[in-house]
Amino acid sequence: MISNLIAIIIIIIAAPTLILITFLPALIELKKPKDGGPRRITVGISEVGHDLPIVNMEEEQKFDSSLVQTMAKVISFLPSLEI
Amino acid sequence: MIIAALEAVFLFATALMIAYLIRHYIFTLAVLRRNKRDRNPVAADANYEPTVSILLPARDEEKVIERLLQRMTELTYPHHKLQVIAIDDASSDTTGNIADEFPKRHSFIEVLHRDEKTGGKGKAAAMNAGLKLATGEIVLCFDADYYPQRDIVEKLVRAFVDPSVGAVQGRPVVWNEAQNAVTRLVTLERIGGYRVDQEARDNLGLIPQFGGTTGGFRRSILEDLGGFDESMLTEDTDLTFQIYLAGFKVRYVGDAECYEEAVDNWKAYWRQRHRWTRGHMQVCFKHTPRVLRSKKLNAKEKIDGLLLLHVYFMPVLTLVASVAGVSLIIAHSSQLINALWLFMPLSFYSIIGNFAPFFEIGIGAYLDGRTRIQWLIPLLLFAYLYNVLICTKAFLDLCVAKILRRSQSDWAKTHHVGDGNCYIEN
Repeated sequence: MISNLIAIIIIIIAAPTLILITFLPALIELKKPKDGGPRRITVGISEVGHDLPIVNMEEEQKFDSSLVQTMAKVISFLPSLEI
Repeated sequence: MIIAALEAVFLFATALMIAYLIRHYIFTLAVLRRNKRDRNPVAADANYEPTVSILLPARDEEKVIERLLQRMTELTYPHHKLQVIAIDDASSDTTGNIADEFPKRHSFIEVLHRDEKTGGKGKAAAMNAGLKLATGEIVLCFDADYYPQRDIVEKLVRAFVDPSVGAVQGRPVVWNEAQNAVTRLVTLERIGGYRVDQEARDNLGLIPQFGGTTGGFRRSILEDLGGFDESMLTEDTDLTFQIYLAGFKVRYVGDAECYEEAVDNWKAYWRQRHRWTRGHMQVCFKHTPRVLRSKKLNAKEKIDGLLLLHVYFMPVLTLVASVAGVSLIIAHSSQLINALWLFMPLSFYSIIGNFAPFFEIGIGAYLDGRTRIQWLIPLLLFAYLYNVLICTKAFLDLCVAKILRRSQSDWAKTHHVGDGNCYIEN
C-alpha cells in the first residue's frame, strides 16, 4: 500500500518535471529568441544578404541628385584656386 | 488469430520505423564526414554558359510578384542568355498588371496571361503553359514568394555540364523565421530536410529530390517526357522519378540558396502539407512498380527511391502501430512485443519535423552555425502529431477519391503576404 503510494507520488512529481525539462528550453527560446536568425545567403564569397529589402532606385536617384546639387553649391562658394 | 495479425502489423511497422531511423543516421553521418571536405563537388566549366529560361508561376501573388521580378532584373547571369517568363495564372488580383510593367523596361522578361478558362488548374498546368514559350536550354523555376541570390543561375546551371544530370535543386532558406512559432518550426524542418537530408542523398549517390522551385531541369528532357503530369499534385516529386527512370539524375547544389516565405499559421500549414502528402502518395502509387522494374536504377537508388516514395505513409503507420501496440498490451501479448515498445518513442521522435529526425535537424543547425534554434526541437513533437493527422486524412481522402473515382488533384494554393523579410529588416 505504502509502496504504491510512493510510486504514485513519484509519478505525479516526475511526469511534470520531465515535461518541464523537455520543453523549458524551447519555451525560453520562443519567448526571448537569442538565435542569430536565418542564414544570410551570400552572393559569391564576400557579399552578404542583408541588402535584401528591395532597392528603391528612384529614391536612390533622388538622393544622388540632391547630393550633387549640395556639392555644387558648396563648390560655388569656395574661392577660386586658379591663378 | 487477431492477436497474431496485430503482432504482425506491429512488427512490420516497427521494422520499417527502424529502417527509416537507420537511413537518417547514415545521412547525418555522411554529411558530418563530408562537411570538412568538398561539400558539393559538381562538374565546373567556366566557359559553360547555356541559355536559361526562368518560369515564375503566380496566381494572386500581387504582394510578392514585384519583389521577385525586380530580383530577376538584378541577376548576375548575362541577360542576353536569360529569358524570364512570369506566368499570371488567371489571377483575380493585380498580379498580371504588376508583371506587365517589367517587359516595358527589360526585354528578357515576358508575361504569359492565362484566363479563367485555361488557367487556375494548378502549378503543373501553369508550368506546362510557360514551357511552351521557353527557349532556353535549361529551365529554372521559382515560386512567387521566393527571393534568390543574384548569382543563383550560375550556381544552378553549372551542374548541367555533366550530361547525365537531368535536374538540379538549390536550397530554400526561410526568411520570415522570426514571425512566430510555426515559421520557426518550419525553419527547423527545412534545415533538416535540405542541409542534411538532400545533401546526404546527393553525396551518397542516392536520389536527391527536385522540389519544383529553386531548381531546374533540361528542357529537352521534359519535352521528351511530355511536360509535367497535370494530374499530379506534386509535379516536382513526379518529375524527380521520371528523370531517374529515364536514366538521368538530379543534383543538389547546397550553395545555391534562395529565401522563401514559410507558412505562418497552422491552418495554412495543414493545407500545404495535406497537398504535399496527397501528391506524394499519388506519385508513390504511380512510380513504385516502375522503380522496382527499372533497369536504369541501381540497387541503392531503388532502395532510397522506395523509402522516399513511401515516406508520407510513415505517420499513418505509426498511428496504426500505436493502436496495434496498445491492443496487444491490453491483450497481454508476448514479451517480444512488449520489448519492441521500447522502440516506439524513439521511432516517433525520429520522424518528426516533416520526416527529418531530431538529430538530423540538430546537426543541420550546427552545420549552419546556428546557436539557439536547436532549443526549439522538442516543440516539433506537436508538429509531428499534427502531421499524423494530416497524413491520415490525406490517405483517407485519396482512398475515397480512388473508390469514388473522383479527381485527386484539387489545388490548394498557399497564400503569401510578402512581409517575410521582417527578420532581415530588423
